[in-house]
Amino acid sequence: MATTVTEPGLERVRRLETIWAEPRGVLGWLTTTDHKRIGLLYFFTTLVFFGAGGVEALLMRTQLSQPNEKVLSPETYDQLMTMHGVTMIFLFVIPMTIGAFGNYLVPLMIGARDMAFPRMNALSYWLFLFSGLFIYIGLFMHAAPNAGWFNYVPLALKPFNPGRNIDFYALGLIFNGVSSTAAAINFIVTTFKLRAPGMSMNRMPLFIFAMLAVSLSLIFALPSLTTDLVFLELQRNAGFHFFDVAHGGSPLLWQHLFWLFGHPEVYIIILPAMGIATSIIPTFAKRKMIAFPLVALAELLVAFIGFGVWAHHMFATGLPTIQLVFFSAASMMVVIPSAIQIYAWTITVNLGRPDFRAPLMFIGGFIAFFVLGGLSGIMFAAIPFDQATTDTYFVVAHFHFIIFGAAVFPILGGMYYWFPKVTGRMYHEGLAKTSFWVAFVGTALTFFPMHMLGLLGMTRRVYTYPDGMGWGAYNLSETVGAFILTAGLLTIAANLAYSRFRGPPAGPDPFGGGTLEWSTTSPPPHYNFPVIPVVRSAYPNWDPADREADRGRLRRGELVYDEGHETPAATVVDAVPDEVLEMPSESPWPLVLSVCTAGLFVMLLVRHYVVAGVFALLVLLVLAAWHWKEPQDQ
Amino acid sequence: MFPRSTEATTAFEVARVERGRLARPNGWWGMAVFVATEATLFGTLIGTYFFLRFDTAEWPPPGVPEPKLTLPLVLTGILVATSIPVQLAVRAASRGRLGSARAALLLAAVVQAGYLGMQLHLFVHDVHEFPPSGSAYSSIYFTMLGAHHLHVFLGMLLILWILLRTATGLTSYRMNGLRATAFYWHFINVLALCVVGSQLSPLA
Repeated sequence: MATTVTEPGLERVRRLETIWAEPRGVLGWLTTTDHKRIGLLYFFTTLVFFGAGGVEALLMRTQLSQPNEKVLSPETYDQLMTMHGVTMIFLFVIPMTIGAFGNYLVPLMIGARDMAFPRMNALSYWLFLFSGLFIYIGLFMHAAPNAGWFNYVPLALKPFNPGRNIDFYALGLIFNGVSSTAAAINFIVTTFKLRAPGMSMNRMPLFIFAMLAVSLSLIFALPSLTTDLVFLELQRNAGFHFFDVAHGGSPLLWQHLFWLFGHPEVYIIILPAMGIATSIIPTFAKRKMIAFPLVALAELLVAFIGFGVWAHHMFATGLPTIQLVFFSAASMMVVIPSAIQIYAWTITVNLGRPDFRAPLMFIGGFIAFFVLGGLSGIMFAAIPFDQATTDTYFVVAHFHFIIFGAAVFPILGGMYYWFPKVTGRMYHEGLAKTSFWVAFVGTALTFFPMHMLGLLGMTRRVYTYPDGMGWGAYNLSETVGAFILTAGLLTIAANLAYSRFRGPPAGPDPFGGGTLEWSTTSPPPHYNFPVIPVVRSAYPNWDPADREADRGRLRRGELVYDEGHETPAATVVDAVPDEVLEMPSESPWPLVLSVCTAGLFVMLLVRHYVVAGVFALLVLLVLAAWHWKEPQDQ
Repeated sequence: MFPRSTEATTAFEVARVERGRLARPNGWWGMAVFVATEATLFGTLIGTYFFLRFDTAEWPPPGVPEPKLTLPLVLTGILVATSIPVQLAVRAASRGRLGSARAALLLAAVVQAGYLGMQLHLFVHDVHEFPPSGSAYSSIYFTMLGAHHLHVFLGMLLILWILLRTATGLTSYRMNGLRATAFYWHFINVLALCVVGSQLSPLA
């Protein structure tokens, strides 16, 4: 409905097409600054890493299917277990939600033509890609990280782990953190400054609130991990002492800094899922989210409380009781914003006229897993229960219900939901519903029996277990479940791959969505909107008069900005337009800078510090070249 | 209707755009968020310093000299004072007086270079006196101090970069760069106070 264009408007649209066109072919993808293309690059890259992490999981499940199985050696199992965790968290869920969904959708939802820093956006992607490859080189050299994704010292220190394994982990994650920090800065500034005229803070879509909360969490959580990793590298390779008691260090320092990052990280994983749920539910319930401000507040509150709960990962380390009690109380507090959201989602569905198509079914699965995983989460906040079950499979059950069931199901639902927007074609609804049930059953069968195993005393992180413990049947059912789940995921992939080429045309708005991405064509043009929309509610696409007014503006040439690569910037709270920005177009520098950065990290890994210095100098020179050409020179 | 970021290419026009602004530019916000994450980074370093200290009976450990008081304080005072010319430069540039802005920046850069040279000399001297491989105290001491010196160095590079770019005149883009650089510079000076304050705390 967006581009029913009349004659004078058509002329302007043609001009926009020329101005925003990008080079064709591979070169276009290597130099792109279009947030939608970068989103797609993120999407396919993270899918590959998801596949790798999935294969690692299946190998581990095969090894654990029976007692005393010998598919994997203990060393290989350790590496696969660590890589599975690192991959799924750093190379799949976060780049998938923030990189792929965030990049593609945030500018569209706020009515902007690009991110605030388009080249830095490309930089985030290339740094992410190279950091992922960096970590995976270790696996192919049979020297992958092997001390778990939490990488506890002293196991990760040189005397116990003399190879390069941990150096791949530490340097790779510092590298990855640079990418995430750049992305988070970009999302925050984009959200603050590039919203369409009239989209004041209280009219921001809830998905945008979730992405804002995630970005703020990353900004304040990642430095803690970076510090920890720098300490680790300094201790391993430069003789510093941070973690060994003999020289006045403390192994608990690692855990404090790690979980000060690690727990906000969990909410960084789950918050985008909540944002996707708050996008899908109103569309299929055909009504606005109830308690909109409360839900927005709850999203921010989850991120905020996430910074005060880290020591509940350390209840068994002998911390003083007063600390245990504080962190126990803080952990229980997370229930409040979570429950607000669960009630808001379910009541919105109840009050609306829900149409249970595949995306909404995935959100149903998400709520089910989130409630179950949340309940076991509250149990861990109780200190005695935590001390009894820590390091057992009960913990594995809990966090997989959360970071697979609750975090990944909305991603899968979101893939179906925005598939028509991205490709312009519809997926197959029947097959999509089937894929949901297969994935749902697979997930439940894989992860639910882990609760029982945990209560029966099976410890985590073991590569095998003896016969006669009564654990065999549960383990076998988990392995069967893992393969069923894989079948469900492959069904989704097949559905989307087939529909990409053979699906019926979808049109701009197949589901009647309320946010701005549905007001433009599918797939959206490079410039997103032929005319910058003016917004008067949180569901602007449900205000037909306003969208009609946009079309009038296109005829009259107002808010079209067809004189250059332009998008308007506005005031932070009220979104009053303030200036017109000339945005950078395609650029080779993000890729070049990422290659130099990758060189720097490889040299640090092999400890050629002089060459590393040369690469650092190259990084500075590339930055200078990058900033030499200014907007007025374009 | 609104100013375009490409419009202002002389100091006079930049001053006009600056007067008409309703909100701070994207570059300023980008720097603000970056400063937030950097501040957190130093927060974890300072947190580590006290975490290790409270786990140790004697701090600094036996055989390690107490931190010196006068010289670090004087040097920090000189560094913090450079915030004044940097802020004056922003003020002058936003009113179209590019010449005074560049002079103030040059003054700041010269003082910073002197500060950094002096500090590096002290750093090397201290490393020989109590190397970081000796104890957790010296490890966090040099990590924290080294991290701050690195930030001073990067801030200096930014100021030199602005000086280089404004040699051919002022544009809105460069004005935004100057504002962001000044923000970063003030932040580094606040950090200097926090880092030095932590490191001198055993004397209190």
